[in-house]
Amino acid sequence: MDRATAGDVLRRAASARPRDLVVAAVLVSVHQLAEAAVPVAVGWVIDLGVVGRDSGALLRWLGVVTAVFAVLATSAYFGYYLAARTERLAAHRVRMDVVSRVLHPAGGAPGRPGELVSTAGADADRAGEVCTVVVGGVAALTALAGGAVVLLDASVVLGLVVLGGVPLVLLASRLLARPLVGRAEAEQESLAAATAVATDVVTGLRVIKGIGGEDAADASYRAASRAALRARLAAAKWAGGYLGATNAITGLFLVVVAWVAGRLALDGTISVGELVAGVGLAQFLIGPLERLTELGAVLAGARGAARRTAAVLAAPPAVTAGTGVLPARPAGTLRVRLPDGPALEVAAGEHVGVVTLQAADAARLLDALARDADAPVELDGTDLRGVALDEARRAVLVARHEATLFEGTVADTTGRDPAPLAAAAADEVVDTLPAGLDSDVGERGRTLSGGQRQRLGLARALAEDPAVLVLHDPTTAVDAATEHRIADGVATLRAGRTTVVVASSPALLARCDRVLVVDGGAVVASGSHAELIADPRYRQAVLA
Amino acid sequence: MTVLPVAALARTRRALGELMAPHRALLAATAAALVLASVAMLVVPPLLGRIVDAVIDRGAAGLVDGLALAILAALLARAVFSALGSVLVARLGEQVLAALRERVVRRALDVPLADVERAGTGDLLQRVGGDISVISEGVRRAIPTVVISLLDVGLTLVGLTVLDWRLALAGLTPLPIWVLVSRWYARASGRLYAAERLAEGERTQSLLAGVGGAATVRAFRRRGAQLARIDRRSRVAVDASLAAAHAERKFGLAMNGAELVGVLAILVTGFLLVRADAVTVGAATAAALYFLRLFDPIGVMLYLLDEAQSAGAALARLVGVADMPAPPAPLHPRTPAHAGVRLRGIRHAYDGGPEVLHGVDLEIAPGERVAVVGTSGAGKTTLGAVLAGVHRPTAGTVEIGGVGLDEIADLRRHVALVTQEVHVFAGTVADNLRLARPGATDDELTAALRAVEAPLALTDVVGDGDGGELSATRAQQLALARLVLADPAVAVLDEATAEAGSAGARTLERAAAAALAGRTAVVIAHRLTQAATADRVVVLDKGRIVEAGRHDELVAAGGHYADLWSAWAAPRSR
Repeated sequence: MDRATAGDVLRRAASARPRDLVVAAVLVSVHQLAEAAVPVAVGWVIDLGVVGRDSGALLRWLGVVTAVFAVLATSAYFGYYLAARTERLAAHRVRMDVVSRVLHPAGGAPGRPGELVSTAGADADRAGEVCTVVVGGVAALTALAGGAVVLLDASVVLGLVVLGGVPLVLLASRLLARPLVGRAEAEQESLAAATAVATDVVTGLRVIKGIGGEDAADASYRAASRAALRARLAAAKWAGGYLGATNAITGLFLVVVAWVAGRLALDGTISVGELVAGVGLAQFLIGPLERLTELGAVLAGARGAARRTAAVLAAPPAVTAGTGVLPARPAGTLRVRLPDGPALEVAAGEHVGVVTLQAADAARLLDALARDADAPVELDGTDLRGVALDEARRAVLVARHEATLFEGTVADTTGRDPAPLAAAAADEVVDTLPAGLDSDVGERGRTLSGGQRQRLGLARALAEDPAVLVLHDPTTAVDAATEHRIADGVATLRAGRTTVVVASSPALLARCDRVLVVDGGAVVASGSHAELIADPRYRQAVLA
Repeated sequence: MTVLPVAALARTRRALGELMAPHRALLAATAAALVLASVAMLVVPPLLGRIVDAVIDRGAAGLVDGLALAILAALLARAVFSALGSVLVARLGEQVLAALRERVVRRALDVPLADVERAGTGDLLQRVGGDISVISEGVRRAIPTVVISLLDVGLTLVGLTVLDWRLALAGLTPLPIWVLVSRWYARASGRLYAAERLAEGERTQSLLAGVGGAATVRAFRRRGAQLARIDRRSRVAVDASLAAAHAERKFGLAMNGAELVGVLAILVTGFLLVRADAVTVGAATAAALYFLRLFDPIGVMLYLLDEAQSAGAALARLVGVADMPAPPAPLHPRTPAHAGVRLRGIRHAYDGGPEVLHGVDLEIAPGERVAVVGTSGAGKTTLGAVLAGVHRPTAGTVEIGGVGLDEIADLRRHVALVTQEVHVFAGTVADNLRLARPGATDDELTAALRAVEAPLALTDVVGDGDGGELSATRAQQLALARLVLADPAVAVLDEATAEAGSAGARTLERAAAAALAGRTAVVIAHRLTQAATADRVVVLDKGRIVEAGRHDELVAAGGHYADLWSAWAAPRSR
């Protein structure tokens, strides 16, 4: 969806299951009308059966009551379930739109990962609620119309009193509710703040216990908890006042209706049954109107979510995709010319180390090589900008330092080939796992230590066996002996295959054919690790 | 995996009683207000019934007016008492909840770390976060609504009885349906909602891995697989949610059936009684109105049963934590005579797992700096935690200044541990530092920051939430500044300089040296430059000390340490 707007997102959500949506709206409307019909039918039973002491009429009208209930129950059963289903499936559709956009090879989805997860999660759910708004809105309007017809048919005066009074009641309670909104939000915030402190305390429990900060942490939680309590008690006072006021207003309204209806019945203008029905309907109609105003808030929430979703969907791609293809096994000669960054030339099969004195240089270089940015990168003389993105990434694989492990087993991640596992010293990791290669790597690899995750990630990159492999700080979380083993393993496994190591680890750099030192967008020194060790800038960056 | 304790039902009830005990007067006032609110509502249908009777008897217009005024009075009383009742319920519930949550967090801070970690921090997080929210929601919505509905239903039955006992019996005909359906629903919905939450959790998990790791997905061209996985997880969550919705609809259907049975019973009974002249048409009308009015409170009450249930379950989990035994304070507290440390025969295993330390003996002179080195899994972190008293060893003793850790009063004034975890607490830098010494002045805090060369201002907002993210180096500097403020005689630093990159590591090594000045120090080192400058190096291998001595001695000896050192130093030398 190019240039998607919030409206587009909501329309797309609502049209995920168009027929279900219509059927749900009809059924829920029928349910509302049936609910309104219950007091009316009961009124008739009293009017024609009980007052007249006519058992034939009683049975007939009890039959009507039963029929009303049958319609009510069936329409509710199917209607609300269908409404829930359209809503969930609409949310699913929006969610998959977002995920599909975020994972698009051309990249460019805006926002931090956490924000994108929340857009694909909570915002998609919210946008799906547009279905609830459609179904609920249609049903509430139908109920209002139905109630109006019945009342006006019985007595124009009574009908006008009820139909005029209901919006007044609603307006009054909305006005009363206004000061509550801010207070409720403040209350929510202070409670959330207290929860955040508690979460923070538990997450940092080791730190607190290590330094003896128990009392200080307790005091700060207690303060947050007391603030939440104060906010809650203040809000409860207002909420109680609101409850009392709205009850009083509704009560007043019902009394007026009962009084008018009683007077009309006394005059003989309406029957006793119509009196009962009028009082019942007055009570009933408050419901749909209330829902109608609540739906306004739901729609506003759905629109806000849809706006955030649209911002993701409409974001321009980070890179323009080419269409060209590469040979199945490219030789691996690499030439990078960043506009105001370092120029890099790597021969096929060469192992090159890159030491960046400034982090920005590393980021620019890695983005260019990973095709996460449009920059002139040539592989065997072919400009990768003209090549399809997946094709380019198949040939030049960038294993970033912050790469995540996917869900699934170790074998899903690294494959079963023992060579890359051994080169990354990941075989030791596999040995410690209960089910070996078939062990689950856990939630984002969290059941593993940082060093274990790093080794599995490296094994995954090595197993891909790309023509050009770019490794970014692959050994920061492992001990010196393991790092040494990895340096040997990678050099041996990748012998004859182009490999670029962007790192400051001397163990890794010592195994490179050539090391380039990059500063301020330019290569400022090059040579072997042994040669460069005399350079003070190099010593500064690499040797601690 | 074991979990933290959960209190039994009887204990949960007793704990609730204890928590409410200080608020007895409030409890009585709350009950009174709620009963009055229900009673006020109760008189309305009979008054409406009297209007019907007045109409049928062609009564005076003044009678209808008077009855209308009486209804108005009743409804206003209802408004006042229900408002009062809801405020009082909130006061009671919120005060009890606040006391409980504070007790839980305090206890979480006091129990031994091992008890928490055995269950995983996730369990405790769920309790201080999710469970407290569940109860809080319960206190806000479910409990007042259930109490008010219960009173309304009960008193309505009383009202029906006042009209005529046979009408009350007719009103009770759906009772078996209510009981059976609500029991089924409470059981089924609990399971289904749990399944729904689980499925949504897994969906979030796969979004985190897929969406959160988008750059990795692109690089490894796993888009198809990730989309398929997320699609599957999302559909499973949809299905789980719809299974719950379906149960809710079945519940609704059964409720409608119960309503129909009741309405028919009341109308038929009313008809028979009116025909027998036992009651007036007005009374029969009132009975019908009573019953129609019951639909809402009964539906709400049965519907909220599962919410009340989960609040109950959450309460049991909170009471379970609040009841965990805190380690006893030493009976005869003693003060260490000096800053020397002695470990004798230390063995440790985590909860019946394999032993990770097999009898470690180590003596550290006051002011000495010892580096502990070894490959991953050698037991270094465990040794540090045992030495700092965070974990109790399975066997052996730890003494500081000749006094066992168990006997030292205010242990953290004598030994502190800076872990490899860098947790920055949400708040200002000053808040983060005062954790170590609550009473510290701004000048003391600034001095501590300066000592570790941290370019941070006391008012900088850091940590999760609105705070800017601190780099690993800054976060560790903050931790070292805390150590300066805590000012213990003995300090344990666990790989405090790892993961910061080489430039950061040098900054941290200087900061650590400053923070450790004048203390007995155990540095669990990952970067061997820290070992090279220590007074003594201890090499740990598979839970045993295999070598100990000065750096150059050990390098010359050509053992374990020499191997580690050559792997570390070879690429660093010319």
